Amino acid sequence: MPQPVQYRGMALIVPDNDSEWKEFYEHARAHRLVVRKCNACGLMRYPPTHACPWCMDLGWTWQEVSGRGTIYSYEIVAHAIQPGFKALTPYAVVLIELDEQRGKPTADEALRVIANLVQPDFTPEPEANVAIGKRVRVVFQDLADHMALPQFTLSEEPAPGRLWRLPG
Amino acid sequence: MNTLRDKYCIVGVGETEYSRSSRRTTRAMAVEAIRKAILDAGLKAADVDGMLDYQGGDSTLANSVASDLGIRFNFYMDVMGGGSSTEALVGLAMGAIEAGMCNTVAIYRSMNGYSEFRIGGTGARAAQPVRGLDLAQVPYGMRSAGQNFAPTFMRHMYEYGTTSEQVAHVRVAHSKHASQNPKALLKERVTVQDVLNSRWIVKPLHLLDCCLETDNATCIIVTSTERARNLKHRPAYIMGVAGRVSKPRLDFHWAHGPISRVAGYYAKDIVFPQAGITPEDVDVTGSYDAFTFTTMLQLEEYGFCKKGEGGAYVSSGIIELGGKRPNNTSGSHLCEGYTHGMSMVIENVRQLRGTVDDYCPRATDGVHTYDYSPGHCRQVKDVEITMNLGWAMPATGSALIMRR
Ligand SMILES: [Zn+2]
Repeated sequence: MPQPVQYRGMALIVPDNDSEWKEFYEHARAHRLVVRKCNACGLMRYPPTHACPWCMDLGWTWQEVSGRGTIYSYEIVAHAIQPGFKALTPYAVVLIELDEQRGKPTADEALRVIANLVQPDFTPEPEANVAIGKRVRVVFQDLADHMALPQFTLSEEPAPGRLWRLPG
Repeated sequence: MNTLRDKYCIVGVGETEYSRSSRRTTRAMAVEAIRKAILDAGLKAADVDGMLDYQGGDSTLANSVASDLGIRFNFYMDVMGGGSSTEALVGLAMGAIEAGMCNTVAIYRSMNGYSEFRIGGTGARAAQPVRGLDLAQVPYGMRSAGQNFAPTFMRHMYEYGTTSEQVAHVRVAHSKHASQNPKALLKERVTVQDVLNSRWIVKPLHLLDCCLETDNATCIIVTSTERARNLKHRPAYIMGVAGRVSKPRLDFHWAHGPISRVAGYYAKDIVFPQAGITPEDVDVTGSYDAFTFTTMLQLEEYGFCKKGEGGAYVSSGIIELGGKRPNNTSGSHLCEGYTHGMSMVIENVRQLRGTVDDYCPRATDGVHTYDYSPGHCRQVKDVEITMNLGWAMPATGSALIMRR
């Protein structure tokens, strides 16, 4: 990727030798959410890393996942630090637990991803609609010819378990 | 267990003014803090032959400050790190002395944390390009410490029913302690309602759930018990130390839950057996208060109450002066000023000596009134054992147990 991608006042830098992120973002630009899958034990991991944290094997392949998941935790930023986010407050940052590989290889492990919870135009989902337990699906915010940012939006599916949001 | 219990001590402590406008370099502040600690110990520059410091590209390295003070090294290292580094470096200092590399180590932290490099991620830090692992969070408007920790706090509330009111008591307690501290930036006592009425920063954190960015330098001096015998103050004996202990998947700890668990879950099994004590034996705690929640989460994880009952523990009065086990009696990061943890170790050393620098006229001689009404005493009676719980982030922490 030749030049930094400007996004909300930030310079996102993914050089050609970025052996973690370059292909991840190219897949995202083709609107595929991918994670790395270990060639030896078959477990998937995110973010992109170079050895399997469970078996230390160096072999991996990109694996597309469904992009469906559940809000595992969240925060609502009222006071933005980055200048480009000030106009968006209050905005939600969500920790998404993907459907694939939940509770594996141990009960507390899962494929979890940080993103914003957004509406179709990528503006923040109103705070009243943000809750732990809600179902979400991935959407892709195109930033450049070679880069898109995975984001999440509320899905139509009913929540399978308890819904919870910060009181007040 | 292999333990160095009671073989090493903290013998000197020093700090500069807590301010939001130091108008000088981190080098100047470090020199002042180290000099004070050397004099406090009753040592001379030539007696200090080791130095450790921690920083995040925001401070002055040991070679400059040592030269200023006329110190020649047998050992020194500059370490990258913030919170939870103090306790870890105490352990490294012990190891360097034990290995015969040096005799006495000064550990310092110097930061213009408000006027120069704000830890909140504003100013110079907010303008940095985003690359590498930062891409997993920063493009989503998640950059500051509060933004990085808030999903941990939120999940704790979801899992255990912890409330904003409960954790607000941490601020209430620490503001009470700061009202007895002439050094504190914020000496005004606050109520639970004051915390809840303060504006939101990043939910579930209100403004008053967050600490104070500060300009300050701090220093402690570690040496062997043998060397400590002839020095000025009663030494603070090191019973146990753990640091920097981490959770699995440190690069992205969200992947390995429960995310409401913090690093103390692992550190406690190192530090308590070393010291040969249990939480019940601890008289004063120093649980790192970058936020009200960090104090609560660590007290709970180290076993001062059951997991999930941290909200009840911190709102019970136990952690206040006059309570059974006061926490951060200086008012600490929430009210005294933010130092990346060393000030909490300094406070506990003074508690063990009985010479906390409060408003009692003869405090430095160890004469206290134990009057905990505003503007008086913050010395705890008959402190035998203190414990520091250092926090870097949910997935990294340190611990230090000292006795008198
Ligand atoms: Zn594997």
